Amino acid sequence: MDIEGAGPEIAIRHLDKDRVNFVLSNADLSVANALRRAMISEVPTIAIDIVQFEENTTVLADEFLAHRLGLIPLYSANVEQFKYTTECVCTEYCSACSVVLTLEAKCTREGETVMVTSRDLQSHDPKVSPVMSDEFDRGIMIVKLHKGQEIKLTCIARKGLGQMHAKWSPVSAVGFEYDPHNRLRHLEYWIEEDAKKEWPLSRNADFEEPPRDDEPFDYNAEPNKFYYDVETVGSIRPEDVVSMALDVLQEKLKVTEAALQEGQTMLTGGMPGEPTNDGWNQPVDAMNAAGW
Amino acid sequence: MTTKERPGDASLKGLTDPVSAVEDKWHLLPAFLQVKGLVKQHLDSYNYFVDQELQQIVRANQRISSDVDPNFYLKYLGIRLGMPERSDPLAVDKSYTPHECRLRDLTYSANIYVDIEYVRGRQIVIRRGVPIGRMPVMLRSSHCVLTGRSEAELARMQECPLDPGGYFIVNGTEKVILIQEQLSKNRIIVEKDGKGIIQASVTSSTHERKSKTYVLVKHDKIYLRHNSVTEDIPVVIALKAMGITSDQEIALLVCGTEKEFLEKFAPSLEEASRLKVFTQKQALEYIGGRVKQTRRFAAARRLPSDEALEILASVVLAHLSVEQLNFRPKCMYIAVMVRRVIATISDERLLDDRDFVGNKRLELAGQLLSLLFEDLFKKFNSDLKLNIDKVLKKPSRTQEFDVYTQLQMHGDHITGGFVRAIATGNWVLKRFKMERAGITHVLSRLSYISALGMMTRITSQFEKTRKVSGPRALQPSQWGMLCPSDTPEGEACGLVKNLALMTHITTDVEEGSIRRLAFVLGVEDINLLSGSELYSPSAYIVFLNGEILGVTRTPGRFVANFRRVRRAGRISPFISIYTNTHHHNVHIASDGGRICRPLIIVDHRRPRVTVEHVKMLSEGKMVFDDFLQQGLVEYLDVNEENDSNIALYEKDIVPETTHLEIEPFTILGAVAGLIPYPHHNQSPRNTYQCAMGKQAIGAIAYNQLNRIDTLLYLLVYPQQPMVKTKTIELIKYDKARTLLLQRYYLPAGQNATVAVMSYSGYDIEDALVLNKSSLDRGFGRCQVMRKQTALIRRYANGTFDRVADPPRDANGDIPFKFQKLDADGVAAVGDRVFPGQVYINKQSPTNTNADIGVGQNPLETGFKATPMTYKGLEPSYVDKVIFTNTESEQALVKLLFRQTRRPELGDKFSSRHGQKGVCGIIVQQEDMPFSLQGISPDIIMNPHGFPSRMTVGKMIELLAGKAGVLKGELQYGTAFGGSKVEDMSRILIDNGFEYSGKDYLSSGITGEPLSAYIFFGPIYYQKLKHMVMDKVHARARGPRALLTRQPTEGRSRDGGLRLGEMERDCLIGHGASRLLLERLMVSSDAFEVHVCESCGLLGYGGWCQRCRSSAHMAPMKIPYAAKLLFQELQSMNIVPRLILEDY
Repeated sequence: MDIEGAGPEIAIRHLDKDRVNFVLSNADLSVANALRRAMISEVPTIAIDIVQFEENTTVLADEFLAHRLGLIPLYSANVEQFKYTTECVCTEYCSACSVVLTLEAKCTREGETVMVTSRDLQSHDPKVSPVMSDEFDRGIMIVKLHKGQEIKLTCIARKGLGQMHAKWSPVSAVGFEYDPHNRLRHLEYWIEEDAKKEWPLSRNADFEEPPRDDEPFDYNAEPNKFYYDVETVGSIRPEDVVSMALDVLQEKLKVTEAALQEGQTMLTGGMPGEPTNDGWNQPVDAMNAAGW
Repeated sequence: MTTKERPGDASLKGLTDPVSAVEDKWHLLPAFLQVKGLVKQHLDSYNYFVDQELQQIVRANQRISSDVDPNFYLKYLGIRLGMPERSDPLAVDKSYTPHECRLRDLTYSANIYVDIEYVRGRQIVIRRGVPIGRMPVMLRSSHCVLTGRSEAELARMQECPLDPGGYFIVNGTEKVILIQEQLSKNRIIVEKDGKGIIQASVTSSTHERKSKTYVLVKHDKIYLRHNSVTEDIPVVIALKAMGITSDQEIALLVCGTEKEFLEKFAPSLEEASRLKVFTQKQALEYIGGRVKQTRRFAAARRLPSDEALEILASVVLAHLSVEQLNFRPKCMYIAVMVRRVIATISDERLLDDRDFVGNKRLELAGQLLSLLFEDLFKKFNSDLKLNIDKVLKKPSRTQEFDVYTQLQMHGDHITGGFVRAIATGNWVLKRFKMERAGITHVLSRLSYISALGMMTRITSQFEKTRKVSGPRALQPSQWGMLCPSDTPEGEACGLVKNLALMTHITTDVEEGSIRRLAFVLGVEDINLLSGSELYSPSAYIVFLNGEILGVTRTPGRFVANFRRVRRAGRISPFISIYTNTHHHNVHIASDGGRICRPLIIVDHRRPRVTVEHVKMLSEGKMVFDDFLQQGLVEYLDVNEENDSNIALYEKDIVPETTHLEIEPFTILGAVAGLIPYPHHNQSPRNTYQCAMGKQAIGAIAYNQLNRIDTLLYLLVYPQQPMVKTKTIELIKYDKARTLLLQRYYLPAGQNATVAVMSYSGYDIEDALVLNKSSLDRGFGRCQVMRKQTALIRRYANGTFDRVADPPRDANGDIPFKFQKLDADGVAAVGDRVFPGQVYINKQSPTNTNADIGVGQNPLETGFKATPMTYKGLEPSYVDKVIFTNTESEQALVKLLFRQTRRPELGDKFSSRHGQKGVCGIIVQQEDMPFSLQGISPDIIMNPHGFPSRMTVGKMIELLAGKAGVLKGELQYGTAFGGSKVEDMSRILIDNGFEYSGKDYLSSGITGEPLSAYIFFGPIYYQKLKHMVMDKVHARARGPRALLTRQPTEGRSRDGGLRLGEMERDCLIGHGASRLLLERLMVSSDAFEVHVCESCGLLGYGGWCQRCRSSAHMAPMKIPYAAKLLFQELQSMNIVPRLILEDY
């Protein structure tokens, strides 16, 4: 890939609490897609991974509740300060690799239904708590309690990656597009009569010059502008998701580069360096782990 | 049409909305279901049995007298069924709920009380409310505690308000008496048998007797055939024996004045004279000589002619009663049969079709129970009589004889008879020598739909093995009565059917008043008529339930008047009347088991149901019964339907139209009603879905978590489908109306976002590609609950089982095997039990038979461990434990295991269009294709599933589902209606999507757009119960069968994988002899024997017992099975000798 002039550029079109819409230009398609993939699966967050039940007389089974708890997004802005469980020196869990949250609720009054939501989760680390959209947010429903029902449990939240389980993915969806006018002819329209009439243009088409009808097809053209629409689950700010994903990519390149260099020396013998930042060989308590 | 297709509950529809014509007439359907419900036929039938038939049976068997004491008698004055009560005599509160019965393995039953009048000493005593036994109570019937309860009350009883009822609980299992299909009784059916002989047959059925009578043609002569006579009787002789001796009169009765008939009948007349039978006496003697000898030695020798008279009066055509030897009606009947046969000879179109639904009757729980009860009651009475005689025979008694005490001793017979019949499904009736198996089935609780489907199922008495297509074929007369789609594949195809949505099955209606009405409306009595009047061209013979009433000369007016009376509500709405112009007959039917359905009456080209009526219905001012009472709607059975002109839609009404369909989609049943756009699918696909919908995992009932079933599958996050049908709303109907917006559903599936495209190679042959993140988020996740029970018994010798606490080893630690046990010896709730761990630590006494000696402590007999150990590959959690006792006071421990499973490779899924597939690969979300919005599919389906299957309905479902998602509302895929493709495309376009449902997807791997547009949107997917976890099986070494020493068979026994005959053939073909040897012997049951080379017999340990020598012994390896064979042959005095040679 040879980039002319300036390097890759990002232009943010829209940014709010849980959404960023930006345009990446002067980059190759492979890099652009790698960024998308990294955002989905390789940006670490913190999510509940182990649930220890003390009391559960609700209608929902333990595994059911554990799964629900696992999917609750937790604020993970300081995720970088945590270690992966596999890298931590502790035997089970410690404050360096995990956050403890507790949940206690009981319904005592006749005819009343207690709604247990993510707001009832008490975190031991104020920085890692369930995501709330604002102070009026009642939180995510976990379970409803009827009279006499009680729930008491301890959750252990850990750092993890989206590729291990979707609960660790910081994004809910990543929209991605380039070449809205199909100038590059990367796709073939299925049409009945007229593609222009039958196929709606995406909103990104307004950002590019529509091709003139008599424009010749440039078969050497490469995609250059990529439109992203990142929607997060709230655990990490959207702009951070993007920059963390870029960091992940850079880290990977670094590791690859080092391995290549080592590989050159290795021609005479020796082992390539183990990449360090991978958490996917973590042993997981198969059934009780939240959400597995 | 548009308003009709809009979603809407009657009560939700705005009053300002224009009510377009009678298009909204479909509102009648929910109204109908509210009154009738889907299982109303079962309930009606049971209620009729309990309220009416019970009395009739008792009245018919009212009196018991003694052979010993002529003064003694016992008379039943009345009978009634109480409310369900526990049988425990010490219970303070005797009421119990069905759910308690399910949990405690009890039978949900009520006492049968009789009022009796009997002789005690010199007095006549009347006692009321004497229990004579217990009868199982049908849930939600008039005698069930659940009937008429509010939802809150039902919840308190742990009962689901959506449960249809209509089944029994016997020994804790839910049992359904399936609807039985039979040929109608007491009707003439003319057909051709295998040899081409035309015969008219009548199956007579009364309480006492069942018999079949034929009138048939043999060599141009007509005969009467019946089981009680050894050979066919010329019909003329039969008529003469019944008192019509003049040939002229016989000819008149059969042929009227028509010459063609006479010509055909003449040979029969001639035969009678050839046989020299002229008078009644001669005829009776002729028949008497051919009566089958019964083994009734007790009956005094009677004259053959008397016997013949008796048989003719009460056995032949038993449903026609002969009063005071007035044979005339029966003669007329036979004459009519003969005439039908003669008419059919010249015109074969007059043959009847026995597959015609109008010729069918459906037998329901009530009728079957009534048969059973009558048998049990008769047996009860005869046992009682024997006992009474035994007591009365004794010359002196210490006490005055009171039958009351005797009566109570016999209670078990009726109770046990019912329980046994329903529990096993074997109906054994001594009276009719009937022995039917497989009448009852365990109610399938796999999903709500499977339970509903079972309640509407109809089985046929036809043998499944017979290769005839007639009974299996779809009959045009099934229209609207039986579902055209819902039938199983394979051997029962077409024999097992299901009711359509609006079907009703009649119960018996008393005949007397109908008979009087018919005479009032101008029917001339049969007894006053001669043949010429019977068959005069203008005369129509009027039948009532197959019996000739008389003749009417104005059939049109008669039928019209009769219907007018019925529509006015003066007689039961279920009485049908129709004209058969081919036979010049008018048939009135009031018997039970006819299939019928409601239709809107049309006169003068105008439907009687108007916009006003529908409006009042939706405002709740009218209910369905009002429509019936006011004569706007009426029930037609299949025969009357044939006599009517029914318009499908209002626009089709022509001057001849008599009725209008309420709603076309009601031709489908409840199960087929789940399919969206079924009218766009290839028909077998709908049939496949009907079979698969019953295997879908979902919510079962509101009380699903309180139930302890042998096997229970639950979906963790069930969803209602994006594209539903009116039927879906209706079958879960009932409660939605009262709670207005709060709708309850019991769905079995999830709305998956599906991309129809090829992805990897793991999607061939219908395999599906699943998105791992979707699975992480709960797609297709299910819970499997499994029950384990242990009975803590008491034995006859005073010993008993016990449950022991976990044992400890020398260090005081509990070994792994017993770790999950609580101090009470049963695994703790919430604990995870691993394979090999004990969950009920039961111990049984070593000696349960012999006497342990008086005064000895039963605990000292010694116990052996009989623990229940968890088997299975994956651990389970203990969900529930109950300790209780059964009716026989034995302690019962039930334990419920739970597993939560996420979909894995090989799990089976299906859409609602008969398109099933297994998961072929699970793909990370970032590798999945995604749309512009970043949406990636939950499921990728291979497009090759479409062309050959032609499930266009699935495509439209996707389209409508996508439109619904974009618009934020549910769409309808109701049969013959539903949201229109055009409207759906419009919504897609308005939301910036392509009109045909295709989307621009990019590859998740490269980021490039996929070069084609992908059909992409939500489709409702069902997870089916077949999961890999329950099926994985492999074995290297393992257990062997005791007898043959060959590996065991089957997964449950950790069996080997069989190298079958065909595989063997393959190896033989390849000449792989060593491999064959290894597979069939070495790896199976190789056994070393010592063969004596001199005698050729097997020895042992190098010693030949026969030769008494060890000189010529040779060791060799043979299959153990072969050694077994040799020994078995020897035991039969056959000597197998092995002749050994060097090789």
